[in-house]
Amino acid sequence: MNVLKIIEYLRAKAASLKIAFFVFLGALVLLDILLPREDAHYFVDKIYAFWTLFALAGCFLLIKISKGIAHLFLSKDEDYYG
Amino acid sequence: MDSWIHPALFFFVGALLLPLLRGKAKKGFILLIPIAAIASVASAQNGIYGVYHFLGVEGVFGRVDKLSMVFAWVFVIMAFLGALYALHREEDGHHMAGFFYVGSALGALFAGDYLTLFIFWEGMAFSSVFLIWYRREKKSIEAGFRYLLFHVFGGLLFFAGMMLYYHKTGSLAFNSILPANASWPEYLILAGFALNAAVLPLHAWLPDAYPEATVEGAVFLCAFTTKTAVYVLARGFSGFEILAIMGTAMTVFGVCYAVIENDIRRVLAYHIISQVGYMVAGVGIGTAMAVNGAAAHAFAHILYKALLFMGAGSILYMTGTAKLSRLGGLYKYMPLTMIFYVVGAVSISGFPLFSGFVSKSMIVSAAHHEGRIWLMSWLNLAGIGTFLSVGLKVTYFAFFGKEAAEPLQAKDPPLNMLWAMGLTALLCFLIGVFPQMLYALLPFPVEYHPYNLAHLSEAMQILAFTGLVFYLMVKKLTPEAKWNLDVDWFYRKGTLLFMKFDAKVIAPFDTLWGELYRTLGLRALFKNAELSYAFDRKAIDGVVDGTAYSVMDFGSVVKKMQTGKIQTYIGLSLFLFFAILWLVL
Repeated sequence: MNVLKIIEYLRAKAASLKIAFFVFLGALVLLDILLPREDAHYFVDKIYAFWTLFALAGCFLLIKISKGIAHLFLSKDEDYYG
Repeated sequence: MDSWIHPALFFFVGALLLPLLRGKAKKGFILLIPIAAIASVASAQNGIYGVYHFLGVEGVFGRVDKLSMVFAWVFVIMAFLGALYALHREEDGHHMAGFFYVGSALGALFAGDYLTLFIFWEGMAFSSVFLIWYRREKKSIEAGFRYLLFHVFGGLLFFAGMMLYYHKTGSLAFNSILPANASWPEYLILAGFALNAAVLPLHAWLPDAYPEATVEGAVFLCAFTTKTAVYVLARGFSGFEILAIMGTAMTVFGVCYAVIENDIRRVLAYHIISQVGYMVAGVGIGTAMAVNGAAAHAFAHILYKALLFMGAGSILYMTGTAKLSRLGGLYKYMPLTMIFYVVGAVSISGFPLFSGFVSKSMIVSAAHHEGRIWLMSWLNLAGIGTFLSVGLKVTYFAFFGKEAAEPLQAKDPPLNMLWAMGLTALLCFLIGVFPQMLYALLPFPVEYHPYNLAHLSEAMQILAFTGLVFYLMVKKLTPEAKWNLDVDWFYRKGTLLFMKFDAKVIAPFDTLWGELYRTLGLRALFKNAELSYAFDRKAIDGVVDGTAYSVMDFGSVVKKMQTGKIQTYIGLSLFLFFAILWLVL
């Protein structure tokens, strides 16, 4: 099956993919800095790469808080309700 | 056009005729019914059809306008895809329940008054529960009963509101309500609608029931109940601020649970709450763009969420489990399922070229336009959680990640399921590439272009950097074989605790009370009886006897004038009469 071959090929090239991914991230930030901002009204539009910072902080907190609350009191045994 | 065949009619009649057919004719018939309904929707012209009078109330079966039509289109398309996905199922009852469910949802869409709406509203609850029960497991039976009870409760809220509304306005017409005019009746109706839209804290029925449904039933369930609720909210309650706030809260709440859940179908079920949250928020913001966004998002969501449930269902169907902690490395065995699931996942995450990008962003942009930056930020935070949980976590831990401990000898599911997934995936892609097709159906004129630089940059930053955090924290996200509590605890465990409280506190108190009564109460009763007896003998009997003796004396007098002794009997009888009377009283 072709799909399998493609996936196996990509998995073998994981290191190069990683570099490509980081280059892509850098390019995104650069692009956002170069973006024209004439009709920016709010702070989310004015700050350079705002959504990069938002995603980094938001995703980190989302994982930490969700997992934290789960471990604190939400998580029970699988057959909790029998 | 003067006449129009209501699409629901095809489903109702089709469901009744289904058991008469056998073999290939039946399979063909199952696909033909939704196609006939699609033709009916395609032929519909705006207008009012099927007006009837019942108990002095004017009811409307067919209110066809742009708002009802955009939902009707996606409902009938979804009915076809769902029927195709379920085609291999042998039980007639399952297909019939699906048809009655879709028919009721369409009936609710086109209803022009509360009474008609209510009838179809209840029809949806009572037909859809069979899609849960047909799994025939103890957990499903129990979850089905809880689902039904919860929806009956919601129906009662709606019914109570409807009665009060009739009392207030003298009409049952279902039209837009201004927030300023709303009081108890309107808010009761709103609560009934909100329960079906899984608005917090009335949401727990959804992640409780949907993951327990049959593989095919869940595909139907995820599409119709919550989206009918979004439709009625958009019709009646747009601009209600509470919906903007609760909807935004739902978006974040849903993804938080999706991040920690283990069963794929539970991840997806919690994620429905999050996605419906976007629509509820759009309705709450209430501008033309926001309501358009809610309708567009409902359209796109029905397709990609069904696609995701189809993918998860295929995994469950072929491997026997949907628990991420027991899955892994499935890309080798189910490559097509993986591709289709990933299309659903990138659509829901809002990748450019897929449907979520052109629908979700309308709601986010509407919040931005209105200067509601905090709402917009929370909605984008939920977007991060969407890609993190449904996009990355499930894809990675089910299809890649570590190979499962028990070897999975799965392969891709039967052809009908693959075709259903393929067609749904194609639609998700087409909507993403040609958004104008979808925008043309929306209730208000659209002046929105999703593919602009600022929006592309915003979306790509959010997605790519969420990917980066996932890459760095993937170990933290390893699914755990655990059960996470939700507010259903209150009626699932809370009632058991109440029973324990009853056994430990209320029952002993009851026993103590019994003892008290036996010792003090009975003694008092005996004393009272003694006193009554004495009073009876000394006072009452004296009077009665006195009367009787007088009668006897009178009798003796009479006796002298009579032969026989009948007067003695009369006296005795009177005495006995009073004695019996006293005893009885």
